[in-house]
Amino acid sequence: MGLVLHLVAKDLRRKVRSPLGLLAALSFPILFAGMIAIAFGRGSSVPKVRMLVANEDDGLLASAVASAFTSQQAATAFDGRAVTAAEGLALMNGGKASALLTIPKGFTQDVLDGKPVTLRLLRNPSEGILPEIAEQTSGALVDVLDAGRRVFDRPIADLRPLLSASGSPANAEVVAISLAFKLTLDATGDLVFPPAIVLQSELFGNATPAARAAGEKEGESPSVVFLFVLPGVAVYGLFLVADQGMRDVMTERTQGTLRRQLAGPVRPETIILGKAVFTAVLAAGATVVLALVGAVVLTRAVSLPAFLLLSAALVLAVTGTAAVIYGLARTERLASTLANMIFLMMGFLGGGFISIEALPGVVQRIAPLTPLYWGTQGFKALLQNGAGVGGVLKPVIVLTLMGAAFLAVGAFALRRSAVRGISG
Amino acid sequence: MIHAQGLVKSYGSLRAVDGVSFDVAKGELFGLLGPNGAGKTTTMSMLSGLLAPDEGRILVDGVDLAREPLKVKAKLGVVPQEPALYESLSARENLRFWGGLYGLGGADLARAVDRVLELVGLGERAKDPIKQYSGGMKRRVNLALGLVHSPRAVLMDEPTVGIDPQARVNVLEAVKQVAAAGTTVIYTTHYLDEVEMLCDRIAIMDHGKILAEGTLDDLKSRVGGRDIVTVRGAFDAAAILPRVDTLPGVQVTAAESGRLVLSVEGSGRGAVELLGRVLADGLSIDGISIQPPSLNTLFLNLTGRELRD
Repeated sequence: MGLVLHLVAKDLRRKVRSPLGLLAALSFPILFAGMIAIAFGRGSSVPKVRMLVANEDDGLLASAVASAFTSQQAATAFDGRAVTAAEGLALMNGGKASALLTIPKGFTQDVLDGKPVTLRLLRNPSEGILPEIAEQTSGALVDVLDAGRRVFDRPIADLRPLLSASGSPANAEVVAISLAFKLTLDATGDLVFPPAIVLQSELFGNATPAARAAGEKEGESPSVVFLFVLPGVAVYGLFLVADQGMRDVMTERTQGTLRRQLAGPVRPETIILGKAVFTAVLAAGATVVLALVGAVVLTRAVSLPAFLLLSAALVLAVTGTAAVIYGLARTERLASTLANMIFLMMGFLGGGFISIEALPGVVQRIAPLTPLYWGTQGFKALLQNGAGVGGVLKPVIVLTLMGAAFLAVGAFALRRSAVRGISG
Repeated sequence: MIHAQGLVKSYGSLRAVDGVSFDVAKGELFGLLGPNGAGKTTTMSMLSGLLAPDEGRILVDGVDLAREPLKVKAKLGVVPQEPALYESLSARENLRFWGGLYGLGGADLARAVDRVLELVGLGERAKDPIKQYSGGMKRRVNLALGLVHSPRAVLMDEPTVGIDPQARVNVLEAVKQVAAAGTTVIYTTHYLDEVEMLCDRIAIMDHGKILAEGTLDDLKSRVGGRDIVTVRGAFDAAAILPRVDTLPGVQVTAAESGRLVLSVEGSGRGAVELLGRVLADGLSIDGISIQPPSLNTLFLNLTGRELRD
């Protein structure tokens, strides 16, 4: 163990003398999250979607759709405004709205008649995420209406003549239709019917009451955008830091110092273990730095045991991943290219840059195969939901298993690669 | 001290080292002389335990390298051909690391570092990062790293390649001091003057084999009083071979198109007489060189080509 520490001390001393690569890797998540936060402002809430609704139909369902964006309930996420189609277009042209939703004339009747209807959404191309939120929300609303229309097809058909008839319907007819609605609802409600048409921000909606209370008690409002972006890019940043550590095996091979070490009374396994520990120390150090940045910016209390547990598992996972890449690649250049590609791919597929819920279904199914996903999920739970040890246990277990497996394979491959490199 | 027996190493169809055997006594400075590609570095890699021989075995102080590699490696110091240093660290930090790797620590390590810094004359620049050093200074640190743990034997693989004359003198002086202190040294080079200046015994290698081995005097005596005559020109050596071959005291060492290498008895006089006969044949001659007996002429005599070829 003394020899391993001797090797690690040497590597740390070298890294301190030439810290540029490490600093670049470490600064990436901070700069990235910082830029996003600056772009959207730092305030007590997510920037609102400036939503225009041009309702050309006076029907019941059209009003329900419009109110989804203009009601008091929606005001936390949407700055909704009812406009005419002409006004809406003028505002869009002036770049004064995120999106314009047009509900066409005859919308309610067409839905009741079972005819296909189209809601038109114009998005502001100069804005990135906000129009996307508008589209996702509108899409969800349409899905709900469409499902409701299909499920209640029979009762709606019975209801239609009553709506156009003059005078009040007979009590028996009302009871019959009500009963039909209820029976359909009972039969299918649990499966397909959502409890209500509501807008729910994932960010705030996932937060537990305890986490909310903690935030309010502190009397400060963290940058929610920072909170939203930081976990994913921070985990991505840790992979870059691990890359810096494990790449050193190749660097030492190229500059001949690995060969020289192996000519001494040192086993290859000891050298590889030294590199793994060095990489883990770098990653752990980076975690602490990122946590400190997070603590300053987010001012959010988290469970320390959960943070330590998750960090340890993540450090193991990033070290193992880097070990596999550098063990399997034959040259430093190839390994570096491969590492960048894999980390970038994991960043996108694993939800490092974009929230996993916003990604296509296929990607969402692939994401859990990446350690970055579990790291991101763990830190999101920790930061956004105020999760304790129990809340991060699943990511911790998965990351530990992945890390141990990757490290075993990587260490074996690195040993082979190291010996091959010096004897060829 | 070091016993190498029947070493063989092949890379595919290329037999880089082909049955090399030698013994080096304690405190001896043994030179491996040969051109590039002779198999010197491969032999050194096997001696330092970095490369497993396909056949043969190596004993250091009676310990088998294959069976107890760490024990043997601890007795050896290695000075690779290219400086293998940590550029961002100082010479002292490099030495402290490599000394620590061999188990030195505390005051012993500090003394050892000071000793080798003085040996290579870098005490005043010991705190500067290696990246600020000249090529020659790096070579000297490279040498010091192989000596910091006071090894029983040092393997030096062409430690003076590519350095300026002054730095070369410094390195050679340090090697002499190491050997004088009783450390066994195996020194590979393709510079004749280095082995002539340094080595107690020399083995001449080419194409993976040891062609001759002995002290400098032994090897020179093997050439006898013969000159090596090299004739170059626009002629077919094979065509005139029968006529030259019958001359008394003349041995043909190499004969190829445009180049004829002869070993001629009788020193300069014999060579001149021979030249008269060759020129009288009306050959188109571009140049003739006559070399007196030396390691180079021995190498030419053994291989038909010069060390620098």
